[in-house]
Amino acid sequence: MDAGIVVLQYTTYLLEAGLLAYLLLRRRAGRLSALTVYVGLLLAVDAISRPYFLYRFGFASPQYASFFWLTDVLLVLAAFGLIAAFFRRACAREHQLWRHIRLLLTVVLILVAGVSWFSLSQYYNQLFTQFIIEFQQNLYFTCLVLNTLLFLLIQKLALADGELTLLVSGLGIQFAGPAGNFALVHLTAGSGFGNVLYTYLGPLCTLGMLSTWFVAVARVPRTVRVPELGPQVAEMAVTVGRRP
Amino acid sequence: MFMAALILIISTALFFFYIQTVCQEILRRRFDRDYYKAIVHANRFEFPAIRKAIEEFNAPVDYARVRMTLKCDFLALTYLLKNACNVRPRLSREERLLALYFRATLALLALRHGLKLREQPVVLRLTAILQYFANVIGQRVNLVRFGDLTASDYLLDL
Repeated sequence: MDAGIVVLQYTTYLLEAGLLAYLLLRRRAGRLSALTVYVGLLLAVDAISRPYFLYRFGFASPQYASFFWLTDVLLVLAAFGLIAAFFRRACAREHQLWRHIRLLLTVVLILVAGVSWFSLSQYYNQLFTQFIIEFQQNLYFTCLVLNTLLFLLIQKLALADGELTLLVSGLGIQFAGPAGNFALVHLTAGSGFGNVLYTYLGPLCTLGMLSTWFVAVARVPRTVRVPELGPQVAEMAVTVGRRP
Repeated sequence: MFMAALILIISTALFFFYIQTVCQEILRRRFDRDYYKAIVHANRFEFPAIRKAIEEFNAPVDYARVRMTLKCDFLALTYLLKNACNVRPRLSREERLLALYFRATLALLALRHGLKLREQPVVLRLTAILQYFANVIGQRVNLVRFGDLTASDYLLDL
C-alpha cells in the first residue's frame, strides 16, 4: 500500500480518537451528544472494525469489500441523523418551523433508508459493479443537499452560532468531496483516475471535517470587552451610597 | 450521465464554498483588543493603508503594487507566526489553512485582474487575513513580559 495513504489513514484515526477523547474529557459530550455518538461510530467503524476485516480477510477479498461499502452506507445514514440534530439546534427558538422540518426530515429519512434497503437487497450480488458507485453518489449528494439547506437556514435565521456554522461546514466538506468524486468515477467509468482520486480524497475530506470540528469545539469563546468604569458610573455609585 | 455531471459540478462548487466558509468563520474571531496595531507599527506593514484607501476613499487598485505589497506582508507575517514567541516554530493547523486560503485568494485576484473584474473585494479579503495573522502575533507577543512592559508596549513606544 502507498505510504501516503497509510500516513493519511493513521492521521485520521488519531484525529478521530483525539476528538472523541476531547469531547468526553472536556465534558462537551452532553451538549454535543449527537456529534459524540457520530464520532464514536466513525472511530468504531473506521479505526477498529475495518482494519480488523482488512487484517482477517485481506484487501482484495469480497468480505472486506462488502463490509467497507455497507459500513459506508451506515456512516452516511448516521450523518443524516447528525444533520437532523443540527437542524434541531438551529431551530431551538423556532418551534413552529422545527415541527415542519421534523416532518420533512422523517419523510426524507424513511425514503432514503427504504430506497437504500431496497436497492442493496436487490443488487447485493452485483454490489461491486457500477451500482454501488451510483448508489453512493446519490446518497452522498442527498445528504449534501440537506446539509446545504441547513446552512441556508442558519443564514436565514441569522444565528450567531459560530460553532454550529463550523460543524455544518465540516460536514459539507465530508459530503461534497466524495459526492463529486463518485460522480467523476461514474462519468469516467473504466479509467482508473477517479478511483485513484477517491483513495486520497475520501480520507482527505474526513481529515478536513475532523479538523474543522476540532476548531469548532476547541475554540476559545469570544472574549467580550468590558467597558471601562467611566465617571458617570462612579457618580452613580456615590449617589446610590448616599443616605437620604 | 447528465445527473452525474450535474452532481459533479454542484458538489465541486459546494466543496470550495464550504472550505471558504470555514476560513471566513476562523477570520471572524474577535480579539479582546487590536493587537495588530503594535505589530504593524513595529514592522511597517502596509496592508492597513491599502485597506483604508479602499474602504474610505474607494481608491482604485494599482494591481502590481498592491499584489507585491500584500505578498511581502504575507511572507513577513508567516515568518513571524512561525518564529515570534512560538515554542514550536511552525504554523498551527488554522494558520496553515488560512495561508493556503491567502494563496488561493491571491490567485483569484490575478484572475479577476485578467478578466478586468472588480478587485477591491478580493483585496479587502486578503487584508483581513493579514490582519488576523498580525492579531495572533500581537496577542502572543503580548503575553511575554519584559519587566513592567509587555513586548507590545515596548513595540508601541518605538
